[in-house]
Amino acid sequence: MDLTDKEYVERCRDGHPEDFGRLVERYQKPLFSFLASRVENFPQAEEAAQESMVRAFLSLKKLRKPESFYCWLLGIAGRVAKEQFRSGLRHQPDPDVAEALMPAISDSAEAYPLEAAIAVLPESHRQVILLRYYEGLSCQEVATRLGLPLGTVTKTLSRAYALLRQDLQARERAGQTVNQTEQP
Amino acid sequence: MNCAECRDNLVACAEGLLDHSEEQQCRAHLQTCAACRAEYTAVTSLQQRLVARGQAASEVNLVGTVMRRIQREQSKPERETIMSTILKHRWGFGLGAAGFAAVVVSISLLGTSKIQAAAAEVMAKGAQAAAKLTSIHLRGQLRTPPADNFSAINPDADFVTVELWKQFGTEPKWRVEKPGRIAVMDGQSTLLFIKPDEALKIPRPSSSAFDTQWLHELANLSQTLTDELGASKAHGWPVTLANVQGADGKPKSVITVEATSGLLTGDYLKNKFFGTADTRRVYVFDDQTEVLDSVKIYLHAASGDKLIFELDQIDYNQPVDSGLFQLQLPAGVKWAGQMQMLPDNEKYATLTPEQAARALLEACSREDWTEAAKFFDPLTAQEKESLGGLQVISVGTHFTSAISLISGAQFVPYEIKLKNGETKKFNLSLKRDARTRRWFVDGGI
Repeated sequence: MDLTDKEYVERCRDGHPEDFGRLVERYQKPLFSFLASRVENFPQAEEAAQESMVRAFLSLKKLRKPESFYCWLLGIAGRVAKEQFRSGLRHQPDPDVAEALMPAISDSAEAYPLEAAIAVLPESHRQVILLRYYEGLSCQEVATRLGLPLGTVTKTLSRAYALLRQDLQARERAGQTVNQTEQP
Repeated sequence: MNCAECRDNLVACAEGLLDHSEEQQCRAHLQTCAACRAEYTAVTSLQQRLVARGQAASEVNLVGTVMRRIQREQSKPERETIMSTILKHRWGFGLGAAGFAAVVVSISLLGTSKIQAAAAEVMAKGAQAAAKLTSIHLRGQLRTPPADNFSAINPDADFVTVELWKQFGTEPKWRVEKPGRIAVMDGQSTLLFIKPDEALKIPRPSSSAFDTQWLHELANLSQTLTDELGASKAHGWPVTLANVQGADGKPKSVITVEATSGLLTGDYLKNKFFGTADTRRVYVFDDQTEVLDSVKIYLHAASGDKLIFELDQIDYNQPVDSGLFQLQLPAGVKWAGQMQMLPDNEKYATLTPEQAARALLEACSREDWTEAAKFFDPLTAQEKESLGGLQVISVGTHFTSAISLISGAQFVPYEIKLKNGETKKFNLSLKRDARTRRWFVDGGI
């Protein structure tokens, strides 16, 4: 039986660190996708995703709202991506080129807020979106996996789409980037 | 259908879940109502965006790597947290070397911290010398079954050649090869070929894959050497530094570090893979060029220390033939792919490891390859020939290794009689697929 983010976080803190693997399993794909749009290539995204997960684990006791784990993880990932970007600039031999590249990270971050919008969905909605799109399950398979009627899954998806669109439109208007509710 | 009904059914329509009549009514309404049509377009546009995001990450699997890194981080003394109380030791690529005892110039007058500092200086210079690589080629001899997993070790096996070519830069590429398998990352995707006729593809680049991590770690000298010293300091592993004359007459610095895997004696996986072995590693640095010359790894086996790996060639910044990063597969190769949801998936998802093992073996016994493929896919012609018609003698109770915390593998003892009369008694390694929750064979057959 799948537990909620909050339950997994609490289990990790209570001496079951192996349960962090379930959180990695749950969020590795959206995290990777989020990072792939912020760094230069897929191997870098993979490395940044690993680094973000490790930092999240090591800072787990500082997480004040365990139910906001994914949102908090994206905040960490955003900082890891920036560090990686700056590290790349340090190896850029031409200071003018490095200077010109500096705004690129924030620009690209604003252009891809989808995973950040998913992060602030209610957990039940987020779970359906992640299973449907990041795990590639059909609606019927999502229903089986979660033990829900098919109609409930399509209604949840419908509501999730509406919330995502609202959030994306708001972000576009505000030019806002990642919603970071907590610092690690 | 009016607007409210249409909006209620929009997602089901976009998902193809409406029956024929409902779908026709929905689509008819969409043709006549611009507002609902705009809503439908917005939904499908968002769906397409989500599909693209999901597909980009479809093959990502970070669980093992992240959990190993967490264990490594936990081994650092300044970070005493939950994991470190459970997992006291670093399980990564261990260190080691006994064979150099005869040539080591004793530095026993130095305290451990001074040896650490001196070793750190030699290693730091080596790491610095290797920091701006454009390419690296490693070739070594490894005691391993030729076709087995890239990280499998066996002190009783013969040496086989294992090689890694890696090109750095904006589009990294790599190739790892041993006699029975080849893994190639060509900048676009990552491919594993298991001879003679099995292949697996990850449709995106990766920094390492298919259990080649240990060789990549060796290629990433800067990080590896830092990790090795940190781990040896954290655990108090003995470190020695010796100044010797190499076979080429040049002065060398030899650093040896003992390492333990943290697995207890008797753990099923102990000493079967690099990450689970108690080893001693010997690094040899050239004092003039300050680069790493060679590495030897010795396994602390029950029968005594045994050389299991010797890195005998390292080429820095040599041009690499681009053809090495292309892999031509033979015709008729069988592709291992993502496990698919079955119509009766729940039935299989609720099996115990013992039930899954028995179901697989009995399917092989009946030569029911469709059923067997639900646990073991692809089954090659060679495997079908070997397993077809087998007789199940027994299936025991499953057990785990300490490493199962990370890998999730469960081991089921079994005994079978093959149709050629041979009796086989071994342990089936099963893992549960994250997507379908079904058990699949990861080894041991």
